[in-house]
Amino acid sequence: MQDIVVELRDAHRGFFGNPVLKGVSISLRRGRIHALLGENGAGKSTLINLISGVLQPDSGALLIDGQVVRAFDPRAAAAAGIAVVQQELSLTNSLSVAENIGMGAFPRRRFGLIDYPELARRSAEVLALVGLDVAPATRLSDLPLGQRQMVEIAKALYRRPRVLILDEPTSSLSAHEVATLSTLMTRLRDEGLAILFISHRLGEVRKLCDQVTILKDGTVTADRPMQGLDANEMVRLMVGREAGQLFPPRPPIPPGQRERLSVQGFSAGRVRNVDLVATGGEIVGLGGLVGQGQEDFLLGLFGAIPATAAHARIGEGLGDSRPFRSVHEAVSAGLAYVPADRKHEGLVLAHSIAANLILPTLGELGHGGLRRPAAERARVADLTKRLSIQGDTGRAVRALSGGNQQKVALAKWLPREPGVLLLNDPTRGVDINTKREIYLILRAVADEGRLVLMSSSDTLELTELCDRVAVFREGQIARILSGDDITEEAIVAAAMSDPDGEKVA
Amino acid sequence: MSDTSQISRLYWRVQTGRNRSLTGLFIVVAAFLILYAWLFPGLLSVTGFSKFSQNWVPMALVTMAQVLLMLTGGISLSIGPMVSLGAVIAATMSGGFGGAFTGLLAVLAAGGAVGAITGGIVAYARLPAIIVTLALSFIIGGVALLIMPRPGGFVPDWLSETLAGNWPVAFLLLALLVVGWKLYLATPLGLSLYAAGENPTGAFRSGVPVERVQIAAFTLSGALTALAGFFVAAQIGSGDPLIGTPFTLNSIAAAVLGGVGFLGGTGTMRGALCGSLLLSVIINVMFFLGFPPVAQYVAQGLIIVGAVAIPQLVAPLTRKRP
Repeated sequence: MQDIVVELRDAHRGFFGNPVLKGVSISLRRGRIHALLGENGAGKSTLINLISGVLQPDSGALLIDGQVVRAFDPRAAAAAGIAVVQQELSLTNSLSVAENIGMGAFPRRRFGLIDYPELARRSAEVLALVGLDVAPATRLSDLPLGQRQMVEIAKALYRRPRVLILDEPTSSLSAHEVATLSTLMTRLRDEGLAILFISHRLGEVRKLCDQVTILKDGTVTADRPMQGLDANEMVRLMVGREAGQLFPPRPPIPPGQRERLSVQGFSAGRVRNVDLVATGGEIVGLGGLVGQGQEDFLLGLFGAIPATAAHARIGEGLGDSRPFRSVHEAVSAGLAYVPADRKHEGLVLAHSIAANLILPTLGELGHGGLRRPAAERARVADLTKRLSIQGDTGRAVRALSGGNQQKVALAKWLPREPGVLLLNDPTRGVDINTKREIYLILRAVADEGRLVLMSSSDTLELTELCDRVAVFREGQIARILSGDDITEEAIVAAAMSDPDGEKVA
Repeated sequence: MSDTSQISRLYWRVQTGRNRSLTGLFIVVAAFLILYAWLFPGLLSVTGFSKFSQNWVPMALVTMAQVLLMLTGGISLSIGPMVSLGAVIAATMSGGFGGAFTGLLAVLAAGGAVGAITGGIVAYARLPAIIVTLALSFIIGGVALLIMPRPGGFVPDWLSETLAGNWPVAFLLLALLVVGWKLYLATPLGLSLYAAGENPTGAFRSGVPVERVQIAAFTLSGALTALAGFFVAAQIGSGDPLIGTPFTLNSIAAAVLGGVGFLGGTGTMRGALCGSLLLSVIINVMFFLGFPPVAQYVAQGLIIVGAVAIPQLVAPLTRKRP
């Protein structure tokens, strides 16, 4: 069929004798958005690398426009019109936006010089296409992460691709940018592009995609039209068993819970004058567009950035009604914080899983200033069992998948039994099975009468997991939603509009 | 938003944007130049300027060579020996057939070839540049000593007169090289230096021939270093197998003063050239003020630490919140 631009037939690929893809076929068709789903480690990245020429299959064939191709590399892929937007950005911070967009495919003029006017024109064109309102001469390092992600997409479009592969492009985008991207993808599809879309957000996938291929352990468990496939069925096909509900049930909060957090006129970083009261047993979500003060609120509560308040009682003790001045104070009062950037802030990557797990409680496990290996081993065994972290705990944390890393970053705080658990976007870039495990842990923590306060960029998480949602906008809580009022529409409306209801974004 | 004026001026806007965070350095350099001119009014005459720029030019050449490599994420420890080798070849070859031109060609060819081989090893064997150039510094130093065991040889008088006489020929040579650098940076290969240095994986995925970019940078860097040797030989009228030694660390110092980072892809050539100018002026000023040579070294070290530390301390105060 002429409509099929790229086809992979019965591809096998292994690494060091370890098979990752076991006979996978997929065909990308003009004018179709094709979803690729699977847990981390299911083989999605390897599949993308085969299609984009970074890797070659051990056996099986790659066909472009119906012709079998051999000796396929990134340049050949680019020549065939295949562009990939990877999760890890391919950009250079010290260059301008336009230079980044053109990198590797600059328009040229005489004497081999870069044709800057042409570059400016074409980059302005693709920037407009992705709805990014920045001058082409802006230095990339001046842009926030979400906009850099959009530059990465503009860079792919600059190459005028026939096939566009988007590997989790939405994980660092704000709701507004996601909306722009969705519109753009639909438009590109209608113009005849073949699009392969990888995302962990099933809501987006269902809305946007026409066809879906689901990978599990290197084999295809589904290759079918999106229509008639619901989220639960998708989860079942990815996980391979009845996943039940992705989210644990929300029990009504029993009365008589003690107050765990009470702040009035709280300011820290971007946060201005916020009031919030929360009790144990609750999961309170912090929603809104990216960077509206959710992170600063968590950091301010945790004493990691300077904070002021008219009144503040956080966690245990500290009756003197002020925010914590240091992380040490906050930890002593029973707070724990799991950062979004687990690689840099949450974990010591080069150290073993075991060493990371006992780090926050190293002091109490010891005796007389010396460590006690037996107690440490017992604790590590207990935690790995509770969190179903498999394998040798002597391995470096770096060797774990993103989801398992996040479990370690979370688990290490549990033995301290924090009264208030603060989490910054805990499931970003985490596969569905691990997400579910994290949700169960959080719910269990809340059920023990403790408070969970989490920011999230995943709206589904806010609507399905949280008991209450505080929507942030420009450093303030625009609205607090609870019970049946927590809907995607209400969150988006509160995040985007002025108090008098006018749209600002 | 994307009006035509913006489009036609992209190149110049990018160029102006690169001055950012260099203002302080520009001011300091200007201040020292003024101080120097006040101490030594002769600087403002043609001869005085010529002599001063002749002191600076070899320093500027090796700094350019070092920056080329630092932008790719590497560093060279063989700058000094390569300068010596250039000087030795110049002093050996310039007396024979073809005279100084043969000498110049031989120097450039030697520098370029050594650079290309080093670049090939670094790019394809994926060895760290610091190790490869460390090993190479012994080899090149040894070769220079083999060619010329003790200072000697000869460079034609007219060449010394031209390059190191009373006219600012050396400065014009440097200006030409700077123009050449600007042109190189306006080619895909040149601009890719930044991408290949800061984010090599990303650059590779974007279709940048990362290995070729690295080898080109090493080749140009080697040729520039050897050219500095040629210039030094013309300056003193003969060759010396050990004359280049201080250039290795001075080139790194100048690059760091100019804001070039060790991790690749950060910094600008204009900054590094200012750094080399600053070092050069400081040495001259201290000489005029009668500092003993030992104190000069100490002062030089303090200035480098200060130059790196002060922006780090000031940055949090001036950073605007996103």
